[in-house]
Amino acid sequence: MRKPNSVWLEIVLSCRYGKVAPVCLLVGLICIGALPAAAQSFRVQCPPMTITHPMTGSNCSGNPTADGCNNTEPAYKGPTQFATGPSQYVVPTAGTANGAIKCQQISGGDGYMTEADGTQTFMFSFGPLSGLADVAAGHPSTQFPYIFNTPYPGTLTRGDPATTDGAASGASPGAGLPPLSPFTWNGAVGLAREITSIETVSNIVEGPVAAPATVPGCPTASATTVTAWTDSPLGIPVGSPVVISSATNEEGTTTPAGYAGPWTISCVATGTAMSPDGFNEYAFQYVAATPGLASDTGNDLAAVAASPNAFDGHVDPRPIMDIGVMNGNIPAPLAAFDEDDEFFLTLTNVGMIMRPDLFEQHTVHFHGYPNASSFYDGVPDASIAINIGASFTYYYLAPDAGTYFWHCHITPPEHLQMGMVGQLHVRPRQDRVPQGGSLYTYLGYQNGIGLPSGTVADLRTECNPGRDILCSATMPAINTGATEGMDLLGNTQRYTYNDGDGSTAYDVEYPIQMHGFDPNFHFVGMTFNPELFVDMKDKYFLLNGRSYPDTVAAGPQATVTSDGQLHYSQPLPAIINIPVGGKALLRLVNLSVTEYHTLQSVGVPMKEVGFMAKLLRDQVGNNTEFYTNSITLGGGESLDVILDASDAGCSGFMGTGCANKLYPAGSTFYVYTPQLDHLSNDAENFGGMMTEVHICNSVSGGNTFGNTCN
Amino acid sequence: MRPKNMKNLTVKTQLLLALVLAATLFLTPAAFAATPGITSAGGAAGTFNLTAQDAYLNQPDGEAVYSWGYGCATSATAATFLPAGMTGASCNTMQVPGPTLIVTEGQAITINLTNNLPTAAGNTSILFPGFNVSTSCTGSTPAGQQGLLTCEATPGATVTYTFTASAPGTHPYYSGTQGDLQIEMGLYGAVVVLPANVPANCNAGYHALNVTAQAAWGEHDFRLSAAAYDHPSSCYDREYLFQWAEMDSRIHRQAQAQVAAKAGCTAGTMGCSLEVQTEPYHPAYFLINGRSMPDLMDPNYASEYPHQPYNGNPHMHPGDLTLIRTIGQGRWEHPFHEHANHVRILARDGNLVLSSNTTPVSYTSGLTGDTAVPAQGLAGLLMFNTDTTPGEAFDGIFYYTGRGLNWDAFGHHPSTTGIPGDPNGDPYKDPLATLSCTPDVNGYNSGVPAAVNFMEWCQDHNKPVQVAPFGDVAGGGPATFPDPNVFTNGQWYSGTPYFGPDANLRAGTPACAGNPYGTANPPNANCTNLQPSNVQANPANERGWAFMWHSHNEREITTNNVFPGGMLMMMLVDSREFVIDESQ
Repeated sequence: MRKPNSVWLEIVLSCRYGKVAPVCLLVGLICIGALPAAAQSFRVQCPPMTITHPMTGSNCSGNPTADGCNNTEPAYKGPTQFATGPSQYVVPTAGTANGAIKCQQISGGDGYMTEADGTQTFMFSFGPLSGLADVAAGHPSTQFPYIFNTPYPGTLTRGDPATTDGAASGASPGAGLPPLSPFTWNGAVGLAREITSIETVSNIVEGPVAAPATVPGCPTASATTVTAWTDSPLGIPVGSPVVISSATNEEGTTTPAGYAGPWTISCVATGTAMSPDGFNEYAFQYVAATPGLASDTGNDLAAVAASPNAFDGHVDPRPIMDIGVMNGNIPAPLAAFDEDDEFFLTLTNVGMIMRPDLFEQHTVHFHGYPNASSFYDGVPDASIAINIGASFTYYYLAPDAGTYFWHCHITPPEHLQMGMVGQLHVRPRQDRVPQGGSLYTYLGYQNGIGLPSGTVADLRTECNPGRDILCSATMPAINTGATEGMDLLGNTQRYTYNDGDGSTAYDVEYPIQMHGFDPNFHFVGMTFNPELFVDMKDKYFLLNGRSYPDTVAAGPQATVTSDGQLHYSQPLPAIINIPVGGKALLRLVNLSVTEYHTLQSVGVPMKEVGFMAKLLRDQVGNNTEFYTNSITLGGGESLDVILDASDAGCSGFMGTGCANKLYPAGSTFYVYTPQLDHLSNDAENFGGMMTEVHICNSVSGGNTFGNTCN
Repeated sequence: MRPKNMKNLTVKTQLLLALVLAATLFLTPAAFAATPGITSAGGAAGTFNLTAQDAYLNQPDGEAVYSWGYGCATSATAATFLPAGMTGASCNTMQVPGPTLIVTEGQAITINLTNNLPTAAGNTSILFPGFNVSTSCTGSTPAGQQGLLTCEATPGATVTYTFTASAPGTHPYYSGTQGDLQIEMGLYGAVVVLPANVPANCNAGYHALNVTAQAAWGEHDFRLSAAAYDHPSSCYDREYLFQWAEMDSRIHRQAQAQVAAKAGCTAGTMGCSLEVQTEPYHPAYFLINGRSMPDLMDPNYASEYPHQPYNGNPHMHPGDLTLIRTIGQGRWEHPFHEHANHVRILARDGNLVLSSNTTPVSYTSGLTGDTAVPAQGLAGLLMFNTDTTPGEAFDGIFYYTGRGLNWDAFGHHPSTTGIPGDPNGDPYKDPLATLSCTPDVNGYNSGVPAAVNFMEWCQDHNKPVQVAPFGDVAGGGPATFPDPNVFTNGQWYSGTPYFGPDANLRAGTPACAGNPYGTANPPNANCTNLQPSNVQANPANERGWAFMWHSHNEREITTNNVFPGGMLMMMLVDSREFVIDESQ
């Protein structure tokens, strides 16, 4: 199935781009017949610049992480300033644009995961097709364009990155701690440079053109003007680059020196041009570096002219299929980006190998997005759904900071239960406040208060509770004087929301997805039977796709799937490492299809600071955060709690220094569900929805999964 | 291999079409919702003569489920209906949910309940949680009986409940007798109390402009009031009531069988009662307002559902503050997921959730002439999943504007003459293609209530959704669409990414031949000009943006094991050109 499709795809592409003209002639009928469905193809996109994020850096190819290259998050100095440009839409004023561009590619298909009792469960699932190394390391697979648009230097192998990493067979969980060498690549799978125009040059001449040759519509050639004739129009407009390559014809004549190289087209002949050897052909001109080059005429093959190879969304389907098939992850690849970012998420539907009877489309629903567009909302009834063998890129400007999530919206009771659920969060602007900056002042900038002179508010980011009933980042009632500083890991202090008072600060961050699998439903789903919904009953209770004790095993968990290959099926552990006296943000979501879940923290208190992607704050600016030891979420709900092992969580009743007594380094606490029947792995009366909290002397290796507790 | 693919695709498409057609049969176009109810039944305003009776509820799988419900004791037309102008409004002797009782804060309310349930069903009653209710048990022959929770009507008896509608808001009412059975059987309904005083800002600013816009398009105002509470943050432009409940038809079948077996028994005698097992509970029907998808989206008072008069089919225009009145009437919680935006919880069980901080918030649109009304700030949660809890009601405010999409939802494009609004600035002389957008103090185009793009978010005006066409995405953005052949259209998909009939028409006309977004692109740039697969769900004169509102315990969006069904409805955000007619 795969190969014939690919071949057909190549032919169609060739026809469209005129790459292999004889093939097109031979199979002309097929080409014509296929063209209406020519876009049965995988694609990926990650523009390095957009209207909202123009490229203002001077040397972005040489220094991609420089300012103005959209490959780093610039400091938040105030709201983006806009002006209406000649295009009659607003564009950012140079140097004021906040945010960057972020991209991600995922596969929609199927796969297997390993339950904590060793059972392998079939899934409909998403898998990573970008940021493979980051996913395996337990990190978000969202990437800046310069990383995303880097093709793999070698040949990807089925099962990668697990294959290249040498993941151990049957291990549950699999390979050890990151960095998971040797696989370190984070680009987009399948990314391939493409040459959109290529033609044989029949004659090439430098300097004035002698009769009978003509170049209608072009000025008299100077000494360095090169004229090249072709059988068919090259199709590259004036001012665009062209690459001339040397060619050797049957008689052994090679293109004379001086023609080859990258040039800019200076003129394209209008209509038919006469070649030096007397044929009606097409012609274009460019200006070479030196005069006096020898002509190459009369032998039908003087050189080859082509557009430069470039990344334009074209992908090679083979690595997409090699990596994407049977590559399901639970949870689906983690996505994370920052407010003001533009996010391009490409969903590539590779089909479900275990269910060849199904022609399932897949979609991505950005769950909880405020003011979502219907088109990109991923509801197949209200929009479009992507067919097998094709890709669709979802686009959003990042919404307000918060913990969201994403899932397929095709037949939700089926596709969600089967595993097409992932996590997504948006980090606040406040993370980007310059060191020493007053959080209150900078939140004021967002809200149009006390703006730097000469600037105006960005109404998109402003929260004025008297006018907008749905905003939460209102000014805090009390200015605590908090300033941007460093966290316990020595990184720039991060926050859950734009709080203006530091109340949502954290040192380490762990997204945790609650989910449940009904093994009967999955078995029925694997064995071509109609699934019933009424008596759906989960028997495996998952945190990040694993049950205890797998939740506390470091590194990605690998599963051998029906292709005989190890795949990283469950990349995220649920180990919560907290530096002593520190704060861990848990981004909790429940994606269960069947029930509400309660999660309890034994020992370390939970400070609930956010709920459903909104800061817990009333319209007057009072924080309505609260301490608790348990939270309850229904399917499709999220909240943010800070596991507070600092003095703040206990000083109220034990006084200063309490954290060292209550939560000393080296101690272990538990987070689990008090719904006691959920502390099981199917028939095992043990396990389920439980994980461990480790209090560490220090935490190194990052502020999320994959870090080390010292 | 390829022909086989094509064949399969064709088969699949035909299957889809068949499904779509099948679904279409159930769908009646132009059905909307509002909050229909009655202000009286067989008496003066505030007096409701109700009966409890049995009948059958229609479900989309063809089942007619034996149920009990409240209804109007007198003739169906003796009631007074709100909002005015509802088509075919009636109050049957049995309906699920029971009639929505619409009253005003401070009003004296009298409910006379007659028990017309089968004798074997025994007593029945009504509880009005949140109100201080006085009962009269002995006013009729036969007399009622004082039960554990309230006064109960014995078979054939009438009892009276009186109370003052002390505070505004949305409340449930339901049976106070053997609730595990009687509420499951359908004995529940809603009381809506309108505020006695509407804050001044609710008739100013955007709300006043919205009324102007409605007038300009000939759209009727179907609100029960301009505010949900005596509070300036509770203003609204549109409202819907959703009552959530699930149903285990096995319980209903047991009740039906026992009622039949015991027909003619004498009330109160040994054995003249039901022994229905209400556990274990395996509901297969998940209801909003007594109906399941797709019946749910058919009109209010549709003749197909004589005992399920209320629908769930929300529509709104951009910027409309939409009041969502929600009650959990079953025994389970349901996470009600509103696609497209958050909901601000105003109140729980009729109690405003306010800040403990007494510093007032100035409520105003900020528009010229709209005086600020200071009041205690709201403290209710902002939720994209609003949990419906058994017996609990909440009121919330939702709106949709498309703010921050970063592309022009209306598909406007720059005028080639450089003059915004110049019809000559569009290659096909469509004046709506080049409309102007003047941001108000909040960034919306509110200065032109009669315009199609009233309340457009101006920061994204004229921004293209795609700059570079398919296959050429090295730069530009925001996004590039795939060829229309690689995706499958939804029933409510308007055919383009754009919003409203004009934008869709424009994107589907020869305007596609020349990409309107600049000359750099080749002709025939992708215009995603497929037409929607179902023109009835989102017809050519509507082309709204559809969003799914549903239970996110996704198992519950099924009807008796079949998806789609259950607790699911499509909410449509409509362009101003489309008149939202809630008379149905």
